[in-house]
Amino acid sequence: MNKKVEFSGDHLDVLRELMNIAVGNATASIADLLQAFGTMHIPKIVISDISGLKQYIHDTIPIQSSHYVTKQLFGGPLGGEFIFVITDEAAINLGNHLYDVDAPSDADIYDAVIELTNILSATMISRLTEELNVKVQFFVPSTEIIQGNDLIYLEDTLEYSQIIIISTQMEFQNQNINGHIFILTKDAMIQSLKDLIDQKLEELYA
Amino acid sequence: MIKQIDYPNILLDALEHGVMIVDEEFNIVYWNQWLEINTGHTYSSVMEKSLLTFYPEIDYRTLQRKIRTTLRLNSPTFYDASLNNRFIPIPRNKITSSLLSTMQLQVTISPYIVEQRMVMIAVYDISDLHELKLVRQQQMEKIAHLNSELQHDKQIIDDNLLIVKTDGEFHITEVSKAFNAFFGFKENELIGWPLQIIYSDKTPLTEYTYMKKTLQNLERWTGEIEIISKQSEPLWMDAVMTPWIAREGVLSSYMAIYHDITDKKRLEILATTDPLTKLYNRYKFDEIFNIMLMRGHWKADDSFAIVMADIDNFKHINDMYGHPRGDEVLVKIAELLAKMLREGDTIARWGGEEFIFLLPHVDAHKAMFVAEKLRIAVEQLGLFVNVSVSFGVSLYVEGDTNATLLNRADTALYKAKENGKNRVEILQ
Repeated sequence: MNKKVEFSGDHLDVLRELMNIAVGNATASIADLLQAFGTMHIPKIVISDISGLKQYIHDTIPIQSSHYVTKQLFGGPLGGEFIFVITDEAAINLGNHLYDVDAPSDADIYDAVIELTNILSATMISRLTEELNVKVQFFVPSTEIIQGNDLIYLEDTLEYSQIIIISTQMEFQNQNINGHIFILTKDAMIQSLKDLIDQKLEELYA
Repeated sequence: MIKQIDYPNILLDALEHGVMIVDEEFNIVYWNQWLEINTGHTYSSVMEKSLLTFYPEIDYRTLQRKIRTTLRLNSPTFYDASLNNRFIPIPRNKITSSLLSTMQLQVTISPYIVEQRMVMIAVYDISDLHELKLVRQQQMEKIAHLNSELQHDKQIIDDNLLIVKTDGEFHITEVSKAFNAFFGFKENELIGWPLQIIYSDKTPLTEYTYMKKTLQNLERWTGEIEIISKQSEPLWMDAVMTPWIAREGVLSSYMAIYHDITDKKRLEILATTDPLTKLYNRYKFDEIFNIMLMRGHWKADDSFAIVMADIDNFKHINDMYGHPRGDEVLVKIAELLAKMLREGDTIARWGGEEFIFLLPHVDAHKAMFVAEKLRIAVEQLGLFVNVSVSFGVSLYVEGDTNATLLNRADTALYKAKENGKNRVEILQ
């Protein structure tokens, strides 16, 4: 069992502040690149274990709908998984908006979801890592349709002991598009994140 | 002079995937060897030309937006790889499978020289992976179809066949809907109970033991059995029970399929039973008698006996008390005699006030003992009138026929009457 990394109030405050900047950055980028103007909620930050993550997702994502779930890994000194969850209805609206057609094809919808995820992950993670003075590598995202809110496969999570959940919600009312974002990082990466925040704190108070 | 080596181009040409560099207006700046070979367009033919010239079918609005995103965010963007290729079509030459005629591509657009608005588009052939996915998808669809058919068949069976499953210890584990509906049980009401609970207590213990033994020997058992409904109605079933061997010869459960034969059984009972005493009639007795004779392996100490019995002075009872009271005497004696017999013995009404018995696995002494026991029981019956019965016994010996055995029993009975009635005589 890995030793749990303890986050102080200061660490969480810095992370929260950095995520606020990242979210603002993402909203601006989406407005610029996709001509969709909306808001993103202040991110929630939770330190949990695997059962807590499952519960958190169950509490956040409605079970009644089916969802397009896009997962993208990012690596480097700060690595983890970026997950974007959008209901199929919102995904169709997104496809409709980006491809400017009344009935977007499945391919249009998948591509639109990937495109929005690209922008969200690139802006949020890049901004976060930029602030922490590290580089990040994005891997190819994949999208699947999931009935309900069972986003986590048991076999995928056996190695996790501690997880940081950063979650937020985006809403674009004119286009009737909203979705949930989860940024998950685990174990060694949490230590790495803590070290990076320590460096940031030193910079700020040097 | 040392020749300058163009390392970047050599490197790009050595790659096992396609790389092109384009600007925001889709003008091609670089086209690597992989693309030359696989698209048929040479470097020199595409250079400085627009991608649009060669691939007009691409969704350029989307491509432009992706290029802009890449340049704006200085971060890679991706095409979705889970569906058929939406970028440039590249023919695929796989002969042994025709699932994909063009390559399934993973397309990544990365920033190249952002100031000059140039991006690098890398295309990876993920056809084999995608093909596996398609094959898996097809197989999953097949499995789903088979499962749905199986489910449908299972539903038909569950709704229409009377089925009970038990574990290896004959405890009920599963009951079909049709069985519950037919016998009036609720779902799960029978689960966990021994199978015997559904059978009539008239089912001979030997029959149940034989059934279990047959199944434990991994053989099929068939037979007729009476099942009692929730409303206590006895219903006759034709039953087939089979052992279920899960794996490596290990027995895991039993399955019984029942078929309602109550109506057939009622007709059969009508045809083989005396309506007054409810004992077997002469026809049924003869059938059992002949089966016993056919077995043919009887010995002196393990033979079978025929016992004929006649109510003494029955004419006098009829005359004195009337036929209805006479019938009453007949019924009471029949009930008593039937109750006193051993499992496996047979009793029938032979005619008038005469009864006949078949006692298997006896010798002369035991046959006499049984007859004497019956005689005493009748003597002590305590009806409105004193009654007694005379018995004539014959024991099967080799060479006997139906007629010889009956004849000897009849003669012995005659002798019992002659010798004063209410007694037992044997003629060996």
